[in-house]
Amino acid sequence: MKTLRILIGLILATAVLRAADPQESDYYKITTFDTPPGTALEVGSIELLPDGKLALGTRRGEVWTVSNADSDPANVKYQIFASGQHEILGLAYKDKSLTITNRYEVARLTDTDGDGRADKFETVCDQWGVSGDYHEYSFGSRFDKDGDLWVVLCLTGSFTSQVPFRGWCVRVKPDGTMVPTCSGIRSPGGIVVNYDNEVYYTDNQGPWHGACTLQHLIPGTFQGHPGGNKWYDLAPNMGPRPVDPIPEAFQQGHKKGTPDPDRMDAERKRIKELVPPVVYMVHGKIGNSSSFIVPDLSDGKFGPFSKQMFIADQSHSNISRVFIEEVNGIKQGVVFPFRKGFKSGLIGGRMNEKGQLFAGGSDRGWGAKGGQPFSFERLDWTGKVPFEVHEMHAKPDGFELTFTEPVDEKTAGDPASYSAREFIYAYREEYGGGEVDDKFPKVTKAVVSADKKSVRLTLEKLTQGDIHELHFDGVRSADGRPVLHPIGYYTLNEIPAK
Amino acid sequence: MKMIHRSLPALATALFASASFGAEVETITIKTLRAQMRYDVTEFDVKPGQKVKLVFQNDDDMPHNLCFFQPGTDVIAAANKQMEKPEEALKRNWIPDDPRMWAHSKPLNPKESDEVNFTAPEKPGVYPFVCTFPGHAAIMQGKMTVGETGQRLPGLTELKFELFLGNWKSLPDFAKLKAHREGDVKDNLVQINVDDYKNEFGLVFTGKLDVPKDGEYSFFIASDGGGRIYVDGRRVVENDGIHPADKVREGKAKLKKGAHVFRLEYFQAAGGAELYTAWGGQGFVTTHLSKLEHPDMKSAGKPKKNKNENTGMPLVVAQEPIIYRNFITGAGNRAIGVGYPGNASIAWSAEAMNLAIAWRGAFIDAARHWNGRGGGQQPPLGFDVFRATELSQPFAVLAEGATWPALEKGARPAGYTWRGYELDAKRIPTFRYEWEGVKVSERYEVAGDALTGDGKLVRTLKLDGKIPAGALFRVASAPKITPQGAVFLVEDGRVVPEIATESKFLVTAEGAKLTGKDLTLPARVEIKVTYSWPSLLGTH
Repeated sequence: MKTLRILIGLILATAVLRAADPQESDYYKITTFDTPPGTALEVGSIELLPDGKLALGTRRGEVWTVSNADSDPANVKYQIFASGQHEILGLAYKDKSLTITNRYEVARLTDTDGDGRADKFETVCDQWGVSGDYHEYSFGSRFDKDGDLWVVLCLTGSFTSQVPFRGWCVRVKPDGTMVPTCSGIRSPGGIVVNYDNEVYYTDNQGPWHGACTLQHLIPGTFQGHPGGNKWYDLAPNMGPRPVDPIPEAFQQGHKKGTPDPDRMDAERKRIKELVPPVVYMVHGKIGNSSSFIVPDLSDGKFGPFSKQMFIADQSHSNISRVFIEEVNGIKQGVVFPFRKGFKSGLIGGRMNEKGQLFAGGSDRGWGAKGGQPFSFERLDWTGKVPFEVHEMHAKPDGFELTFTEPVDEKTAGDPASYSAREFIYAYREEYGGGEVDDKFPKVTKAVVSADKKSVRLTLEKLTQGDIHELHFDGVRSADGRPVLHPIGYYTLNEIPAK
Repeated sequence: MKMIHRSLPALATALFASASFGAEVETITIKTLRAQMRYDVTEFDVKPGQKVKLVFQNDDDMPHNLCFFQPGTDVIAAANKQMEKPEEALKRNWIPDDPRMWAHSKPLNPKESDEVNFTAPEKPGVYPFVCTFPGHAAIMQGKMTVGETGQRLPGLTELKFELFLGNWKSLPDFAKLKAHREGDVKDNLVQINVDDYKNEFGLVFTGKLDVPKDGEYSFFIASDGGGRIYVDGRRVVENDGIHPADKVREGKAKLKKGAHVFRLEYFQAAGGAELYTAWGGQGFVTTHLSKLEHPDMKSAGKPKKNKNENTGMPLVVAQEPIIYRNFITGAGNRAIGVGYPGNASIAWSAEAMNLAIAWRGAFIDAARHWNGRGGGQQPPLGFDVFRATELSQPFAVLAEGATWPALEKGARPAGYTWRGYELDAKRIPTFRYEWEGVKVSERYEVAGDALTGDGKLVRTLKLDGKIPAGALFRVASAPKITPQGAVFLVEDGRVVPEIATESKFLVTAEGAKLTGKDLTLPARVEIKVTYSWPSLLGTH
């Protein structure tokens, strides 16, 4: 019986293949909602409410509650919950209150009279500075297991730190106390408390950031941009100020106008508090402006990528997929393209228990591919499994790839089906920067596992600190499909011993 | 560092080689607007074959470029096409590999500038320009029009000036005043320095304007100090009052071919003094009529500048108050604007924990913050703006002879904690904060109609806790406070530079006492303060 079903499946799949190459939309479908009239629903944050409703926080400072967003979009209903806030880039529900993060405070909003609108706006913490500069965005997480809320504070103008704790991550304790937690933030785009209580945020390309990055917020660490480090004096819990990374102008032998020779991998050895990016969201290819981080905790309802992270991009109006692992105590991982074609620049996102990913945003001030000024959308798994690299693990001499479907042994076992490139961005003071240190290591061996679900690749040479760009163009699934997104970018902070 | 680029492909070069006139180089300056993903100039006109020096300056905090394309090019598509092969585009630094692009700047990092020298095409048409960095093209674009009639209008002739002395805050009726001195303006260009006076003077220029053909013409004025233009005795454009010269005013007049009388009135009070004027229209390039050339008067007739992005989204108060937390002029960086039914509004400062400003009429225009990236302070949309006190703490215990503690810009007073606010059934907010262990709540309501009737703003503070001995509440502070029975008239001059009205209000509060420039009362469990506008009550 089972064999027969697989056979029929194979025949059907082949038939579909002949009709057209697999498309992203075959596997993940975007539903676009109408938005309430009279406002620009520039979604900056999304939270789940207990009764299946959603809360949307917007750049215009409104909170909308949304009903029926999990069903037919024609049934969606909006109600205004709060307005007049100074941008809402963080929403967290707890004990019948919605805690918002706005530009200068964390505040608890409660509807005490049950009319569906908040009437109590209690400030929980307003202890970080705000200078009046437009760029000082504040992104708030949801509550971690201790009930703390994490806030990442953009630098003043995204370059300097004019008031305390701009360029920092702070934790807000349940009693409102603010604890300086990490320095080195530049211009965040999203923050998440992951299922294991580890906290991550996205930062954006600029000085000391050759590309956008996914970063791991370990209390006490320095995340790479020294602009806010003068506030160590106000944060005795953080210990002494770390040594600064060396701007290119002060590096020995550096000629003006030539690429900065400094590398994150080298500076990590010198600056003990410096945490390298978990994943570089490769500029121009994965995106230009990383924003929300949504872990898939739906246990298979969103497809085969349980517990992986889905990271959006404001500029590219897309979502990428990130798998991370820990090597030698450092988080690192790989990013794959996942789904493009959202209507505006994505900023806020959240997945419900049904595995529906809600995403919204705006292109105001920073253009986006989507083309619409703002949007609120839903991404659903169609139930079909795309043929993709599922996980990519670093090995001492290469990588292990696991696939979502059994591979075709012939193509997957042929090193010629793969190609590899290495590069990195200079860790430099100047804005952004190109890909440097190009290398093209040969894939020397590709061994398919007995269950046909993984392939062990051996590369000629691995370089610690480099981004390893792997192409899987020649690989086919057992039923003959190509890999839907035949490229991955692995940030190799550490090479495992085994 | 500036570099000169000559980036014309062979075809374009051949096209332009026949340029026969326009030997004079036209300088065009285009800047990027900070935080808006826009150029400051979105349209400009040149003559066919005109030699152009384009100065491109990146004032934004991200990289930009400026690329010119052939007429009819879908520039968004041309720029977005690069995203299909981002690796290659990255190597080109996002300068498209597109035969329709015929000139471009180099990609500029923040705060860099570049000079692009080119010869305008001979073929008339609209040549789009755009920033081709990924995602920018959708809004960051403009157009250069190559026109047949890109000629200048004639300038003024027989220009005379009259100099008046006096201290004014708005343009006086010069006809009733005696000129201190008069004379000819030799170069026929309107200018301030006809004499050595730097402050407290007025000027009236009169000259002849030769209109080349029937039609509507635009007259522009920008001035630090007030200015006004008449043509044939009819007022065309006015920019009265005291203000910087950054805003260009435009007025239009339908004129017949032939000679017309041009008259420009101007006054200077003190401080900076600048005067710019120009005219244009009917397909002519804007022609400066003043010695100083205002950069925003580059070309005439059409809306050229990205200037109107920051107006036009008024928040209109209906049955319920509207709350607007954002950067509001004069209210610090943690401002809470509240527009109340009854046509009065306040900006409360969660920084100073005090009332910052109040006004009547319309509430606020959200366009500045809800367009582009939303930078800058927004002044009130209404009028009769007053500042209750200098922006500082509301309560204090003063040592003998001490003055009220001042607050550094952007700082917060010691001993105060912001707690948030609540909305009642009418959605009126009650602000809450703590001072030295005392829980303070503060609520405002409008009695009557502040627009047309005898509207008052009533402020009620309630204190819960042990009030420190000798604690004072400051009701008002200003250099001039005049008791009028139980009412005090508070006059403060122009306290907020961006707000062009004088702070003047009437206040009553039981037990209020004037000490120096401060009107204070002993802190107590309940404090009621009533503010009103003297202009409403006829005591102006």
